[in-house]
Amino acid sequence: MIVFITGGAKNGKSSLAQDLAVALSNGGTHYYVATMIPSDDEDLERIRRHRDDRAGMGFETIECGKNILTCLDRADRNGSFLLDSATALLLNELFPDPTSCEMDVDAAYRCGDELVAFAKSVANIVIVSDYIYSDAERYDEVTETYRRCLATIDRKLAAVSDTVLEVASGNIIVHKGAFPA
Amino acid sequence: MNLIIGGAYQGKLDFAKAAYHYQSEDVFICSGSEIDFSAGCIDHVEEFVLACVKEGKNPITYFEDHRDDWRNSTLICQDIFCGVVPLGADMRAWRQNTGRLCQYLSKEAAHVSRIFCGLEQKLK
Repeated sequence: MIVFITGGAKNGKSSLAQDLAVALSNGGTHYYVATMIPSDDEDLERIRRHRDDRAGMGFETIECGKNILTCLDRADRNGSFLLDSATALLLNELFPDPTSCEMDVDAAYRCGDELVAFAKSVANIVIVSDYIYSDAERYDEVTETYRRCLATIDRKLAAVSDTVLEVASGNIIVHKGAFPA
Repeated sequence: MNLIIGGAYQGKLDFAKAAYHYQSEDVFICSGSEIDFSAGCIDHVEEFVLACVKEGKNPITYFEDHRDDWRNSTLICQDIFCGVVPLGADMRAWRQNTGRLCQYLSKEAAHVSRIFCGLEQKLK
């Protein structure tokens, strides 16, 4: 089954996603698809905290910051996958050169289609994204493009998901399907 | 009146077209402080609010004055009031006035939907 989770920052999305990915694996193999390509100490610290969070949960980590379908060569499709997050994956695809703001919008849309294909190829997957669409702000074109691309990916994933969850301050709102038992 | 709220790029207009059978020519896209209510579906009400803020007008008063014109309309507004309080005074007023207008419109509406990742959440 495909579970899509989104919501605000530091609201409990990742820990819920971890729990669900383990539960869906039913004692079988469960993979953590690490999408962030660290660019500074803050990123490394965030990665360390996430790693501590899931220590002892039995995840096999697959690092994949781009071209998500390549994960399939390195994992058993019958397993359960946790992809955290679509947001980080898009960042890597939309900005191929992390030192510049040059955008590859085609790659961003391809990334959305690949995520859908990936989700449909595996037995179980939990995908985490970020809800960044409710600001009273006029963003520059780069930020606005990023928001538009992520929303496009979110909607594509939500459309094919069995369950869509929003996490708000640790509380769960079910937007589609049923909460996985 | 149907009110549709939700974040940017969430599929609010697509939902309005599908749920209430509008074509593109039935949609008025707000960009100033006047709304052509002859169109059945009014999109980007938040842009109308921003124009009102810049011209010192009260958006709720405008809607009250045109009450008969939008009774059977579908109004779409981005929920720009959920994010961080902006630094600029106009942007702050925009955020607050949009929040207040949506409260008023929600009370008046027969149906209120929030669109989240293309999915409808029925609020009323």
